[in-house]
Amino acid sequence: MKEAVRRELNLDRQSFLGKDSASVLDGTRVAIVGLGGGGSHIAQQLGHLGVGEFVLVDPDVVEDTNLNRLVGATQQDVHSGATKAFVAARVILGVNSSARTWIEASRWQTCATALRSCDVIFGCVDSVGERQQLETAARRYLTPYIDIGMDVHQLNEQFSIGGQAALSLPGGPCLRCMGIIENRALALEAQAYGAAGGRPQVIWPNGLLASLAVGFFVQLITPWRKKPHFPVLLEYDGDAQTVSPSNKLRYLKEGACQHFADLSTVGDPFWASKDLQHPVASGAGS
Amino acid sequence: MKAIFKITRHLLDETKAQLERPHPFAGERVAFLLCRVGLLDDGGLIVLSHSLHDIADGDYIDDQSVGAMMGSGAIRKALQVAYNRQASMFHVHLHSHRGKPRFSHIDEKETARFVPDFWNVQSDLPHGALVLSEDSACGKCWIPGREAPVEISRFAVVGTPTRKL
Repeated sequence: MKEAVRRELNLDRQSFLGKDSASVLDGTRVAIVGLGGGGSHIAQQLGHLGVGEFVLVDPDVVEDTNLNRLVGATQQDVHSGATKAFVAARVILGVNSSARTWIEASRWQTCATALRSCDVIFGCVDSVGERQQLETAARRYLTPYIDIGMDVHQLNEQFSIGGQAALSLPGGPCLRCMGIIENRALALEAQAYGAAGGRPQVIWPNGLLASLAVGFFVQLITPWRKKPHFPVLLEYDGDAQTVSPSNKLRYLKEGACQHFADLSTVGDPFWASKDLQHPVASGAGS
Repeated sequence: MKAIFKITRHLLDETKAQLERPHPFAGERVAFLLCRVGLLDDGGLIVLSHSLHDIADGDYIDDQSVGAMMGSGAIRKALQVAYNRQASMFHVHLHSHRGKPRFSHIDEKETARFVPDFWNVQSDLPHGALVLSEDSACGKCWIPGREAPVEISRFAVVGTPTRKL
């Protein structure tokens, strides 16, 4: 790690992640798509971990209804109309001033080329359709994709909280294999997401699921065991306050994915080498 | 121009296993990685490898002055694969040591001679050459319209763990 970073962020307490873990993390570029309740937690944790480069993507500004769960956001941000991506960058840079952040206050589809050079993409998006598109984009550029999702359902007179954290690795099971993306869910998406009013979200399940996602990330980038072996789908039962490896993958052949089986579909669908001669403008750096 | 090369850990392991097999007479083995490519937001190039094309034992020439010499049949078959599968082709071989490998003088000369031939079958795609070591890699990429090859600036291995070489 560069000496300047060492002065800003002392990572001695996590040196068990490997003697080169600080420089590996500093050299890692992540994208976080969706910087609301889940993504803001992930940004904060990755900032503390010492991750060096962030592409922060969210088109939304902070609203007063976000303050029950948006880590780092203030009343002032509501008044000033700060973007969620800006708030995440501020949280990260507050911990690690050497981090490099790119703020993309737009839908990820409009800045998708910025995701291609990322080592890991975190998806914290609301809809199943959006997840499907984002995972497909990640697979196309051989990028590990970590997804979290939380839901509040009304069952009879009561509410139930559930969620999951999933790791989708090129060559491994995808979100469809895991049952997170399914045709029925896509069809139901036209209806209200969750059943307890407009997109019910609370801070503690978001924080827990974000922590599981960051756990996947550390296992990938700076594993603390020689041969890390971990379930790629964790299910959260918010009512029982438990997290369990999902049974859904038990009967799949290890590593087999029928949905992205043909790796030769990676890369740009349309290619013209002349585009390399004319660099495309990137998002604003900070 | 920035050029990133990505490979899954599974394919990297498969490639190394193939290259480490002893050959009846050649001192080392070579192969080709089939790749597709993409544009980065800064105008750079991302190369995404997806499968391995091995060279058959009989397609090597018995030339003890070099580690491995491909015969015309090996090149012809690789050209056919590039054409059929619309692939960017990256020649690959292995140096058995740790740390950053380098192209030898012969590597430089030979790759500069045959890699641009792939433009005869895939004229708009970049093609290239890689040297792997036990824990690292180096590589060059020939871009259509550019005379000199571009150094690959970053190798990313995707899997558990995900690492830069």
